Amino acid sequence: MLANKEITPSELTEESISLAKRYASLNCFNVINEEAAIAQSRNLSFDSNNLLSCIPIAHKDLFCIKDLETTCSSKILEGYKPPYTATVVKNLENAGCITIAKTNMDEFAMGSSNETSYFGNVHNPWLKNHVPGGSSGGAAASVASGIVPLATGTDTGGSIRQPAALCNLTGLKPTYGRISRWGMIAFASSLDQAGPIAHTAKDCAIALDAMTGHDSKDSTSLHLGKTTTLETLEKHTSLTLGIVKEFNGQLSAEMELAFQKSIMTYQSLGYKIKEITLPNIKYSVPTYYVIAPAECSSNLSRFDGVRFGFRSKNIQNLEDLYVKSRSEGFGNEVKRRILIGTYVLSAGYYDAYYKKAQQVRRLIAEDFNSAFKECDLILTPTSPGTTFAFDSKGSKDPTELYLEDLFTIAANLAGIPAISVPQAFVNNLPSGHQLIGPHLSESAILQTAHHFQLNSDWHLKSPSMESFL
Amino acid sequence: MDKQTVRTICYLSRLSLDQNSAQKIESDLDVILSMIDELQEVDTSKIEPMFSPIEQTAIVYDDVISSDNLKEDFLTQAPNSDNNFFKVPKVVE
Repeated sequence: MLANKEITPSELTEESISLAKRYASLNCFNVINEEAAIAQSRNLSFDSNNLLSCIPIAHKDLFCIKDLETTCSSKILEGYKPPYTATVVKNLENAGCITIAKTNMDEFAMGSSNETSYFGNVHNPWLKNHVPGGSSGGAAASVASGIVPLATGTDTGGSIRQPAALCNLTGLKPTYGRISRWGMIAFASSLDQAGPIAHTAKDCAIALDAMTGHDSKDSTSLHLGKTTTLETLEKHTSLTLGIVKEFNGQLSAEMELAFQKSIMTYQSLGYKIKEITLPNIKYSVPTYYVIAPAECSSNLSRFDGVRFGFRSKNIQNLEDLYVKSRSEGFGNEVKRRILIGTYVLSAGYYDAYYKKAQQVRRLIAEDFNSAFKECDLILTPTSPGTTFAFDSKGSKDPTELYLEDLFTIAANLAGIPAISVPQAFVNNLPSGHQLIGPHLSESAILQTAHHFQLNSDWHLKSPSMESFL
Repeated sequence: MDKQTVRTICYLSRLSLDQNSAQKIESDLDVILSMIDELQEVDTSKIEPMFSPIEQTAIVYDDVISSDNLKEDFLTQAPNSDNNFFKVPKVVE
């Protein structure tokens, strides 16, 4: 529409902001960047050679944007306006994107349902009072509702892929180190990776190619140029897809049926299906729940009420300042993870838990290396179920919610790329399957997902949104 | 996890738990610990820990002085500051 001059950049930006306000009850945004976005859209001219030119985008509220409130959906960062902008945001702005808003998320990205946000739950656009998934729940809701065509997310254990699956979107977690983490507020530094959430694999490819590239400000950034996944998107080779033996029997009958339909679609397109084994995969959830809290307890020690963010009013001395600011500023899930992390790193427990988990992590990564000798990509469900009602999971037993990430966590432990792709609906609700590949195989993953989407129409379905007016 | 251990890790984490949440968090920690205890059944005797998915040596930067000074910008974000300093309650009487 921009290319045909049916709409101007500023009209598109204003329409996106107007939709954000119309669907305010979704609660998918922490802040709308109205004034700056409209000003930017008036200064930009459409560049027909650039696919992201003048495209409205929403960023997860853990990407620092200069002078725009960035909170990680936590009370402890309420009011914080960073003095600098994250590399990934700059890359997308340089590609022409206009930042419309910052999206709601689980507090510090800790959660799988977007129910731990200080700013309240995000609704799933497909079903009110049901979760959009998490932690990038606001990002998924903002795209699924049609407010923006593209959003950034981050994925530490499935936080892009699981909300994508629950909201009928395509979400890509790239190889660890592909996208700079500079300016992205850290949760678990060896697992966190930014990525796009969009309707299609093609849109994810366009976004990925803009987001990637070496950044000297991030010491874990790979020494590679920008990806060129869009150029090779139409290349379709009949790859071998591995089905994980250990995941057999993990799904309900309805979810299994949806997954089997995806397998059949790939078979009909000439892909070979082969059973593979990941013998240590069952340890990926406990491994993650040692490593992620350990890294979080270290990363979140910087929130001390001294330099930025929230400071308790009721303090007598410096110790009080630390303890009360942190205790009043963090929510319960964040506290739980800091405490677990502190415990597994403390004297006497380090070897038994932290070192042990890092050893099991290597076994899990080696399992993937062996599997990729048998197949090109691994095909799994993305999540065990569809969206679920608010407060229905994890309130009695937190590990119930942790199992939401059963199929997604291992890719973060190994640092390999994975995508969630919309598949057959289950009881009229979206579900997704996941393609996991070896390091740096984003092109193959996107090609395969694109091939599936050329031969299916699940990703084209959108929610009615009537209940959010 | 006994109450003394919970008190110790709360102290190390600089967190205090109010009475309402303490009991819930303590029982949650027990559930989480019993889940992660599953790792003990894995034989890892000859396995090197994998601390990062990209096991490359850290990059060494050239030792060059840069002229960036964002002191003012950062101090504006502080809950309390005075001239060039972050301000906290008195530490030494």
